[in-house]
Amino acid sequence: MSSEAILSGEEPLKPGQQRVALSDVIAQISRLEQQNRLDDAGILADRVLAAVPEHPHVLHLSGIILYRQGKIAEAIARMEKSIALAPDVALYPRNMCEIYRGAGRLDDAVTSGRRAVELAPEDSRAYFNLALIHYERLELEESVRICDKALALEPDFAEAHFERAEALLLGGKMKDGWEAYEWRFKLKQAEGMLPKTDKPQWEGQKLAPGKLLLVADQGFGDCVQFGRFIPWAAQIAPAPVLACSGELTSILRQIPGIGRIVTRWELTGEFDAYIPLSGLPRLAGIDTDNIPMSEGYLHPKNELVAHWAEQLDRLVPAGKRRIALVWAGRPTHKNDKKRTLKLAQFAPLLARPDVAIVTVQKGEQIAQVGSYFGTTPLINLGPEINDFADTMAILKNVERLVTIDTSVAHIAGACGIPASLVLPYAPDWRWLLGRDDTPWYKSVRLFRQQQPYDWSGVIEKVANFLD
Amino acid sequence: MLNTEICTCGSGLRSVRCCNADMAAAPDQGSLELINAKAAEAIGLFNEKKYREAEALALKILDLAPNQRMALRVLFEIRKAEGKQQAAEILARRLTELPAENNAVAAAAHLQLAQMLVAQGRHLDAATPARAAVKLTPRDANAHHVLGVVLTETGQIRAGEVHYRKAVNLLERDDGTVLANLAWNLKQQGRLNEAATTYEKALRLRPDNARGVGGFAQVEAGRQHVPQAIKLLDDALAKWSQDRTLRLLRALMDLRLGKFEDVINRLSGGLESLMPPELAARGQAAERLGNIEDAVAAFAMGRQMQRERYGQRYDPKEGVQKSELYRAFFTAERMQNLPRAPETDGPKPVFLLGFPGSGTSLLEQLLSKVSGFTAADQAGAMGELTKRIGNLVSDESQLGYPSLLENLALGDGASQLALLRDQYFVTLQSDGVINPDTKFVIDRAADNHWHLGLIKLLFPTAPIIHMLRHPLDVVLSNFAQDRKLEANCGVSMPALARHYDVTMSLIKHFRGQLTLRYLPLRYEALVADPAGALASIVKFISTEPLKLPSKIAIKANAFQPIARVPAHVVMQEPVHERSLYRHRLFEAQVPQLFSDIRPVLTPWIEALGYGDAQ
Repeated sequence: MSSEAILSGEEPLKPGQQRVALSDVIAQISRLEQQNRLDDAGILADRVLAAVPEHPHVLHLSGIILYRQGKIAEAIARMEKSIALAPDVALYPRNMCEIYRGAGRLDDAVTSGRRAVELAPEDSRAYFNLALIHYERLELEESVRICDKALALEPDFAEAHFERAEALLLGGKMKDGWEAYEWRFKLKQAEGMLPKTDKPQWEGQKLAPGKLLLVADQGFGDCVQFGRFIPWAAQIAPAPVLACSGELTSILRQIPGIGRIVTRWELTGEFDAYIPLSGLPRLAGIDTDNIPMSEGYLHPKNELVAHWAEQLDRLVPAGKRRIALVWAGRPTHKNDKKRTLKLAQFAPLLARPDVAIVTVQKGEQIAQVGSYFGTTPLINLGPEINDFADTMAILKNVERLVTIDTSVAHIAGACGIPASLVLPYAPDWRWLLGRDDTPWYKSVRLFRQQQPYDWSGVIEKVANFLD
Repeated sequence: MLNTEICTCGSGLRSVRCCNADMAAAPDQGSLELINAKAAEAIGLFNEKKYREAEALALKILDLAPNQRMALRVLFEIRKAEGKQQAAEILARRLTELPAENNAVAAAAHLQLAQMLVAQGRHLDAATPARAAVKLTPRDANAHHVLGVVLTETGQIRAGEVHYRKAVNLLERDDGTVLANLAWNLKQQGRLNEAATTYEKALRLRPDNARGVGGFAQVEAGRQHVPQAIKLLDDALAKWSQDRTLRLLRALMDLRLGKFEDVINRLSGGLESLMPPELAARGQAAERLGNIEDAVAAFAMGRQMQRERYGQRYDPKEGVQKSELYRAFFTAERMQNLPRAPETDGPKPVFLLGFPGSGTSLLEQLLSKVSGFTAADQAGAMGELTKRIGNLVSDESQLGYPSLLENLALGDGASQLALLRDQYFVTLQSDGVINPDTKFVIDRAADNHWHLGLIKLLFPTAPIIHMLRHPLDVVLSNFAQDRKLEANCGVSMPALARHYDVTMSLIKHFRGQLTLRYLPLRYEALVADPAGALASIVKFISTEPLKLPSKIAIKANAFQPIARVPAHVVMQEPVHERSLYRHRLFEAQVPQLFSDIRPVLTPWIEALGYGDAQ
């Protein structure tokens, strides 16, 4: 017979029930939450709260679970209650700060973050959470200053270094930014991105042909963006070997200077040093005014362009301006919530009578096309796209790409295809601040949020830009 | 110990001599001959109308020899006459399974079964014995006639015509019944002029055929010969004043002419005394007179009768399960790995989607006016293909449709798809849809939404026009009619709303997972500016400029004498706007009418952009 835990000692036990300590149950809720068993954790937390509704830590834990389940308002209500009940526990405002950030309440987030730091001035994580909020508010100097405080307490705190790098780079302080950016491979999520080797990271010295290993690290967009530095590296260390995932080979092969391309570590052969592609701009001394090849450096194959031209002629009504569209990113990306829109939010673009929309969206979000019933033709091309070579060829057949900050934006920029890129208020560092162009890609025009997490007005500008 | 348990089928035989009999252990031919004389005696008693005695003797004989044909035949006739359908059917089927001394005897057994099933309206079930009868006796006119009926009523209309014509040839004379059935077949094909000529001949030979007169009147109405149709019906009603079909057809003529009071007078009496088609006509007349409450009462009674008197039920489970199966199979990822049929020259299909009542008939009528466009009406060739696909695509694992499509990824799937695509055109050709001038075939089969995945494989860039209309108007339109709808969803407003949701959700899925050449068209836009809407659709469909009829001609939507007239042309009328947001008038007078279905339909009302039009 299974036992059922109860928490209050008031009622007599029924057969099969036993008393357990509250601390054990709290530990169990935490364990379930960490195992991503959110429903089980939530049910257990609710049962406990039925018995002890004013328990601040259970309220707090329950809030975290609710937040992770996407029930933001309920999460905030519970966590605020826990803070009201236990105003001196530093953990609560520290986590509250992150929850407010997720809910887009940046003023409240700053208040919470500051309170957490005040209560626990020795807690590097509290500083880190606060630094994130300052980044989101584009208070970059403050973000760097708070990161420095966290690092003073914990010098090897990789996340704080990386956050500091992003704030520096976004603010255009490239040299310092690149140095701090080197901490990215110490992040937990970077495990496995680099080869297991005792060879050193390349520092820009001359090497014999084929003895430099280039690693296409990070996301697809980064590889396209930083791939432009391969010819520079090949001048110093000729014919480098490039290790990349299979889907990148057809694209990166176009870049001159590469010796061999391999898709498995065991095929790299002997090398004297390695360097991730994202490490090249630091070595090349890149600033915002000396980025090479911003006019484009990738070219779709002619036969593929012709194939898609024929397909689009069949699918797209004649006489319409063809605009390609990507509205959503990979959901597992850390900033996806910030950058991704719904297809319906592009209504101002979809309302233009002179355009036909060709969506080059991939992934589960293509399902949103099924809910579009507007009169502007919309061709859901994603299901027919095999790889990025197809995407490049399709983009050659449209007037312009409208996209969120995702790999397709880099593809368009690297091909010199006109693109309108919509960016969140605090964008990824590479798009810098205060400008509607980008030194990385001449053909890309930036459309920025004017308020954090608020897309109003942005898509209207994108649509009007077509006039 | 003797097993005396009587068979549950109602034959009156012991179970071990009926449904649980071991026929292999039944007497052989030699033994049967010993009791032939007794069996002939049973036949004699039956012919002398001594039914109880005939029955008793037949039961005795069959208890000794359950395979005695003559006794079995006697018992079958008696059970049939008693209206014991289950027993009669079982006995009739047993007769078809007995070894016969010659083909004529075997064919007679099959024909007898087929006719019985036809009489019960079970045309699909009748197909197998009717075919068997023709195969056994290919020169029997009656067998061809029955097969003609079966094929015509199961949608294989062109094939039905072939067998009617064989029956006529074999008879070597004109037969009023066969000709009237042939005329109805021609009417179904839209060959109205030929149908009219054939009806004239049939009714000359057999003027007492009230059903034939009704059919002829419908043909005349379809040819826009309304006065002639009315005269036919008036004359017939003078002869058969109690014939409800004729009375209804006459009322529909009044409805068409705007004589709404006359409709109500013709279909007077308590609502319970009327049949669903009569209630629909009466309700529509009441609506046109502004008596919305009366209209709703008539429509609601029609739906109630379908449920309670005719036992029609809507069970969403089957549709939902099928939809889940299709959704699980037709995903972007899987479809990307399947080949496509290559494009060909020749006619191109244009697929119309739309829940019944959304305006696909009107769109087809208007498109038919553009040169090069031919209406396939509801020929349903795609649905046929899904049934036959197992023969063309290897299905060793017995996966069934749609899972068997996975086999197309193996070997030369594109060629198999090309064969299937050709089969689509063969079906339309044999239905007489395609003519030498056809550039575009308008396929508005009611089940097209199920076939979007297969359409993508066979016709990767075929235009798909989706007729949309305010969901409440769509439901109301069906509520107000008596039509056979998928899964019996027309039996109530909640059933209609539920099925609308199932249908739209499936279309939404396909659109999200497939690259379709899709154009949504709103009924409201079509009736507001038919010429403008038609121009934009034709531009969407054809890369070459096509000549459109004048704006006036489009708005008038006049009947054109074309070779093949879709069924809906019978009620063709000028494009009108009186049904725009029809639900508002109803809701104003019967405020709770849509309360039950709003929760289901509101998300669609919003998604389709009708939220502002509330």
